[in-house]
Amino acid sequence: MKRRHLLATALAAAPLALAHAQKKTTIRWWYHFDDPQATPQALVTAFEAANPDITVQAENIPWGGGADYDNRLYAAIIAGNAPDTAMVKFNNQPRLIEMEALAPIDNFVDSWAARTDISDDLWKLHRAPDGHRYYLPVQYVVLYLYCRQDWFAKAGLKLPVTMDDFTAAAVALTGADRWGFGLRGGAGGHDHWASLVLGNGATLTKGGLTSPAALAANRAFIGLFTDKKAYPPSAPNDGFVQTINNMKAGRTAMTIHHIGSANDMQAALGDAITAVPVPRGSTGGWATFGDGSSAILAQSKNREAAWKWISFLSTGANNVAFNKLSGQVTVTTSGGRDWAMQPKRFLDATTASLPMAKILPPSAQTADFTRTVWPQTTQKALLGQVTPDAMMAGFEKLYFG
Amino acid sequence: MNRLSLPWLLLAPALLATAILVLLPVGETMWLSLHDVILYRPRSRPFVGLANYAWLLTDTDFWESLGHSAVWVIASVGLQFALGFTAALLLNRAFPWRGLARGLVIIPWALPSVIIGMMWSWMLDFNLGLFNALGMRLGLLDAPIAWLAQPGTAMAAVILAVVWQGFPFFAVTLLAGLQAIPKEQYEAAAIDGAGTVSSFRHVTLPGLAPVIATALLLRMIWVANSLDLILVMTGGGPGTATQTLPLYAFLKAWSGADFGHGSALAVVLALLLLGVVITYAARAER
Amino acid sequence: MKTVRRILGTDLPVALIVLFALLPWVWMLLTSVRPEAELTQSPLRLVPNTISLANHIALLERTSFAENLRDSLVVAVGAVALGLLLAMPAAYAFARLKFRGQRWLKTGFLMINMFPVVLLILPIFVLLRELGLLDTYFALIAGHATFTMPFAIWLLTAYVAAIPAELDEAAMIDGATRVQLFVKVLLPLVLPGVVAVGIYLFIASWNEYLFALMLAGRNVRTVTVALQIFIGENEIHWGLLTAAGSLVALPAVALFLFAQRHLAAGLTGGAVKG
Repeated sequence: MKRRHLLATALAAAPLALAHAQKKTTIRWWYHFDDPQATPQALVTAFEAANPDITVQAENIPWGGGADYDNRLYAAIIAGNAPDTAMVKFNNQPRLIEMEALAPIDNFVDSWAARTDISDDLWKLHRAPDGHRYYLPVQYVVLYLYCRQDWFAKAGLKLPVTMDDFTAAAVALTGADRWGFGLRGGAGGHDHWASLVLGNGATLTKGGLTSPAALAANRAFIGLFTDKKAYPPSAPNDGFVQTINNMKAGRTAMTIHHIGSANDMQAALGDAITAVPVPRGSTGGWATFGDGSSAILAQSKNREAAWKWISFLSTGANNVAFNKLSGQVTVTTSGGRDWAMQPKRFLDATTASLPMAKILPPSAQTADFTRTVWPQTTQKALLGQVTPDAMMAGFEKLYFG
Repeated sequence: MNRLSLPWLLLAPALLATAILVLLPVGETMWLSLHDVILYRPRSRPFVGLANYAWLLTDTDFWESLGHSAVWVIASVGLQFALGFTAALLLNRAFPWRGLARGLVIIPWALPSVIIGMMWSWMLDFNLGLFNALGMRLGLLDAPIAWLAQPGTAMAAVILAVVWQGFPFFAVTLLAGLQAIPKEQYEAAAIDGAGTVSSFRHVTLPGLAPVIATALLLRMIWVANSLDLILVMTGGGPGTATQTLPLYAFLKAWSGADFGHGSALAVVLALLLLGVVITYAARAER
Repeated sequence: MKTVRRILGTDLPVALIVLFALLPWVWMLLTSVRPEAELTQSPLRLVPNTISLANHIALLERTSFAENLRDSLVVAVGAVALGLLLAMPAAYAFARLKFRGQRWLKTGFLMINMFPVVLLILPIFVLLRELGLLDTYFALIAGHATFTMPFAIWLLTAYVAAIPAELDEAAMIDGATRVQLFVKVLLPLVLPGVVAVGIYLFIASWNEYLFALMLAGRNVRTVTVALQIFIGENEIHWGLLTAAGSLVALPAVALFLFAQRHLAAGLTGGAVKG
C-alpha cells in the first residue's frame, strides 16, 4: 500500500499528469476485518477507477476486544488527527456525538439513490437519538442460538422457542463433561445476558432492571450456573473463543453467537448443529443486533469524497464483496437475495431474528457497561460474591443513577 | 568551570528526552487529576481540586486493587528473582551446552506480552488446555480445573505467566553481573580455604549486590505498572479478582472515559512507588 | 565421578529451567503446525496428527508480517542506539563525576517508569501530533529509548562504578583525554554491561505494543501490532498467531547468542587488570 502511494505521488509529479492538472483528494479510512488475509484493496481499486480524483488510504486498525480500536479513535479525534471516515459501532455513537466528532450525513443519504436498497428496519436502527443520521449501515449480524440438534433429538426435546423450553433444555442436556449452555461470562457476554434477562422481564428503563420480573429473570440466569451447573465451570472468564470452542469440541449443547461463526461450526460439527432465534421470554425476546456502520468524522475536510467512498461500500455488489471480507451479512436487499456465504439455515435463523433485534440504549454509559461493569458484576454474581439482585441494582445505578 | 558543567553536559540529552516525553505528559496527567475530565465532554472540564483523590479514599475498588497490586508485585518479582538468580548461577558454570542453554532461556522474555497472554490462556483453557490434559493423564487432577475463572487460581495463573515472562531478565542481568566479578577474588577465597558456600557468601553476593539491588528495584517498578498480561488473560476478573491498580486506572480512564479519576489513580500509584524508591535510596545511603 | 556430579548439579537443573522456559513456546510451535480443526478436538492430542507449514507460509506470503518484522527491526535497533547514546554519558556522569544533587537526580530518573504509560499516552499522542512525528520510526524509537532509560542508566552506572577508579587515574596520568579514557579504557571493561543493557533495550522495544499501536500504524507497523490483527472481534486466527509467535522470538534469541560472547569477554577483560 505504501508502494501504491509512492507510485501515485510519482505519477502526480510527472509532467504528463501536470498537463491534466486535476486536484486529487486523499481520504483516510479506518477499518477492521477479522480475517488478516482479507484486504479491501480490490474495492479500493474499483472505487479509485470510478473516482479518479479520489485516493483512499485504507488503514487496518487492531480490534483489541474493541478497546484498542476505540481508544485509538478517541486519541486521534482529541489530537485533531482523525481519519476522514471509519468503521464504527453503536455503543460509541452517543459518546462520539457528544464530542461533536461526527458529521451528519442526512443530506447525503436523502439524495442517495441506492438508499432504498437498505431496509427500513436497518435505517430505523441507525438513526441517532437526536434525530440525525451519522451512521451508514455497512454490515450486520443478529445474534441467534446455536443448538446441537442431534443431542436435542436424542433427548426427545424440541428446539427451544420460549424461555421455559430453553431452561428445561439447558438443564436436561447437562451431564458428565457436558453443559447445557456455553455462557460467555467475560467481556462481550452482555449479549447473552440481554437475551436471557432483558428478553425475559427486565427492561432498560428507570426501575425496569429492579422490578420483580427483572429480578426473577436474572436470578434464573445466575441460578443456571450456581444451582443447576448448566454452564461450564470456566464460564465466568470465557470469551467468544472459549464459547465457540466448547461448542465445536462437543462440550456444550447451546450457545449464543451469530452467523460470523457459522462456517466454522458447520466444518466442525456438520449437520449436528443448527441455529434458531434466541428464546422468547415475557418481554418478547431480545436478539442483539450486531451492527457495523461507516461514519464521517467532523474533522474531515473531504466529506463529499468520504461519502462517495462509504456509500460505494454500502451499495449492492460492493457491499456483498465487503461482507465477504468482513464475514458478516450484507445490508442491501438486492445483495441478500442470493446470499450463499453460509449454509441457508443460519441465514434463516438470522432473518427470523430481525423482528426482535434490539440494541442497548444509546447512552454514554453503554460503552462502560459492556466493557467493564457488566463483566465484573456478573462474574461476581456467578462466583457468589454478590447476589443476583445486587447485580441488577448495580446496573440500575449505572444507567439511572 | 569545565569541571562543573561537564556532568550537566553529559546528562543533557537524557534530561531533554525525559522533559519532553515524560515530564510534560506527567504534568498534564497530574493537572487532569484535579479536574472532572470526561473524555467525550472536551468543552467541560471543571476544576474540582482534590475531589478525585477524596473519592478514591472511599472507593472500595481502589483499596481492593491496591491489595491485588501488592500481591502481584511481591509474588511475581520475588519468584522471578529466585528463578532468575538460580538460572544465572547455573548458567555461569561450565558445562558443554552452556551457550545453547543461555540462548534458549531468554525465549520467554523475547516474546510480546499479547502472545504470552494468549498462549498461557490457551494452555490453561478449561476444556482444551494443556495443563488440564496433562494433569488428568498423569493422575494429578481428578477433574479439569477452570484456572482463570476462580479468584485464587486466576491470580496464581497471571503471576505464573509473568514469572515465566520475566525470569530471563534477572538471569541475563545477573549473569552479566557475575561475569564482572574478577576471578582473582574467587582464587583468593579458595586460597583462604573457602568452600562453595563460603565463597558464594563472601565473594559472589557482595560483588553482585549492587546489580541485584538495581535489578530488583527496576523490576519492581516495571511489574507494578504492567497490565498487559492481566488484561489479555483475565481482563482483571473473574469479578475484580485480578484487577491491579494500573489496570483499574486504565479501565477507568479509557473504558469509563473518566480521565479525572483515572489520572488520580495513576498519580497515587506513582506516589506509592516513589515512596518505595525513596525508602530504598535512603537505605542505600546508610 | 566429577562428570556425574556436574550432570546432577548443573546439567539437570539447567535442563529443568530450559524445559520450563521452552514449554509454552514449544506448545505454540506445535499449535502452529497442526491442522486448525485439531485445536478444538477433545480430548486434546499432545502430538499433532499431521504437520504442515501452511500457516507459516500464509503468514509470510499473504499477510504483511515480513514488512512488520522489518519495521520492528528498524525500531528496535534504533532504540538500542538512541538508548545507549542517552544513557552512557549519563551513567558515566553518575558513576565517575561528583556534582550537586547527583543522588536525587539519579533516583529522579526512575520516575520515568512510575507512571502507568496508558495514562500518559494521550498527552504524548497530542504532543507528537504537534511535532508532526506521528507514524514515523523516530516517534517509536524516541518513545522506546526514553521509557527504558531508567534501566539503562542505572545498570550502566552500576557496571561503570564496579570498575576500579585507579584505572582511570592511571590512564589520566598517561595523558589520555576523558573521551579517550571512556572509549579505550572503560568501554572494553563495561562491555558485558553494555551488551546486557543493549539486549534489554532491544527486547523492550521489540515487545512494546502501546506506543506502536497509538503513535504509529500505517507507514510504520511493528510485529506487536500485526499480531493483534490476528485477534479479531469474532475469530482468533490461532494458526497465524502461533506461527507468528513462534517466529517472533527468534531475532532476539539470535541476537543474544551472537552477543553472549561479549558477555563472557568481561571475564578476560576483568582478569587483565584486577
